[in-house]
Amino acid sequence: MPFNTPTASIKQVSPGFGLGLRPVHYPDFLAEAQAVDWLEIISENYMVPGGKPLAMLDAILERYPVAMHGVSLSIGSTDGLDAQYLTDLRALANHVQPMWISDHLCWTGVQGRNAHDLLPLPYSEEALRLVVRHVNQVQDALGRRILLENVSSYLNYRSSEMSEWEFLRQVAEQADCLLLLDVNNIYVSGINHGFDPITFLDHLPVDRVQQIHLAGHSDHGDYIVDTHDHPVAEPVWDLYRYTCARFGDVATMIERDDDIPELSVLIAELDRARAIAAETLVPGVQKTREAAL
Amino acid sequence: MKSTVLTDLQVAFHDHLLNLPNDFSQEVSEGGRIGVDHRLHIYHNAYRARLLENLQDAYEKTWAYLGDETFESSALAFIEDNPPKHRNLRWHGATFSQWLAERYPQDLDIAELALIDWQLRQAFDGPNATPVPAAALGGLTAEDWASVGFQFVPTLFVAPLRFNTVTIWHAIDQEQAPPIAEVLSPATWLVIWRKGWQPHFRTIQAAEHAALMQLQGAASFAQVCADLGEQFSDQEAASVAAESLRTWLEDEMIVGLTGTSA
Repeated sequence: MPFNTPTASIKQVSPGFGLGLRPVHYPDFLAEAQAVDWLEIISENYMVPGGKPLAMLDAILERYPVAMHGVSLSIGSTDGLDAQYLTDLRALANHVQPMWISDHLCWTGVQGRNAHDLLPLPYSEEALRLVVRHVNQVQDALGRRILLENVSSYLNYRSSEMSEWEFLRQVAEQADCLLLLDVNNIYVSGINHGFDPITFLDHLPVDRVQQIHLAGHSDHGDYIVDTHDHPVAEPVWDLYRYTCARFGDVATMIERDDDIPELSVLIAELDRARAIAAETLVPGVQKTREAAL
Repeated sequence: MKSTVLTDLQVAFHDHLLNLPNDFSQEVSEGGRIGVDHRLHIYHNAYRARLLENLQDAYEKTWAYLGDETFESSALAFIEDNPPKHRNLRWHGATFSQWLAERYPQDLDIAELALIDWQLRQAFDGPNATPVPAAALGGLTAEDWASVGFQFVPTLFVAPLRFNTVTIWHAIDQEQAPPIAEVLSPATWLVIWRKGWQPHFRTIQAAEHAALMQLQGAASFAQVCADLGEQFSDQEAASVAAESLRTWLEDEMIVGLTGTSA
């Protein structure tokens, strides 16, 4: 296991505030400099032979630091890892030279079938051992630590033996990987399962949270669905404020996958994240945060 | 592989998504503001919604041609018949055109339109290649012309076309009512490729199709011209060959020369 540096130096310094790169915004990003510090690409969108997607990616790489975010690693499937997928992911990473590579703490299929959904794992010792083994394999294949993201979920398993936050913490520490904290997902799952998002946040290791996701959701009254088709909701902004206070200066970005507005609208939303982070990073708040930790 | 608690749970969950017999509901905790059945339904519904959206995206013109209701019912039936197996979602719709041919055997124009949708998508992000400029042929010697052959773009797709689906495609693209489907005569082929970053398509007739197939089979251009001479008068053969070559160069379909001394 080559990733045994002291925990104090695990995390990279935050590159600032970013957005998820979507094709509809290619012209905006290529026409002039935008008030965005970095971009996150969906890895699978560029795991293609050629054509416009890769040409646009190359043009983007000349202008912005990029992080890679995947949806198909299926780190928790009992099928094991897909060797071809890992080979393709490594080839893309060699081309992109990303700041970091992330995927989700979930499984997407079993017995050679693929649901193309981010399905939750039971928070069991068996699942923990499996995920840690797979993360080690992925990190060895990629030659770097990966980030795992907490997914939104709509059910809990009887076979869970610990909380989601304990599971996430154990995975990060045992596999020596980093975390991508999706604040909207914490809120969504909190409503759907009735836990306190603050408890979730308070139990995660500060030194392993490399990135934060913000996104919108759809409120169905009795439950919430993580749809990425709305602006970030007010309660999620409140939670982000607490997240900044606890985790400090962490790379933050907004995901928008449906009903995608003009880039300027997303940048205005990103500016709100900037303002909230700035408020919590003033010395007084920082001291309070450090005292609280 | 040894069955474990986790494997059994994942298999039961996936079987639930696919409407296969399962006891997954017994794995799910009760409690909260919604019941277990509702929680299961959210995933069951999301699975289909995501795959349907993917098919709508890949088969945009077919969707417009069939209309929302018919496309959705067809796509959902395809999804039930074809659970995804690929790691990348983009491949899930690869067999939708063949599936539509079986579902609508009396209306094969539907499957043909779907084939155009799919192959345009494949051309969009298919392998890159640098086109040969027309000027490169200007430097060929008479000896070269006796043996030169052509490599075509890796995104090139050629298939027989039975219906006026190209006209239908254009009508839909211009948001006009598509014409009634008609069988084409004489025999026509569809050619799809990417020029620059943009997928293109056009129809070709028998002579150009024969020439393309021969050249793809590593025949020399001289051989193709000779064979055209057996079907047409010398003047017609020369005209077809010259016009085809001019079009291929203009359309950036040729990416390599073979059989030359250079």
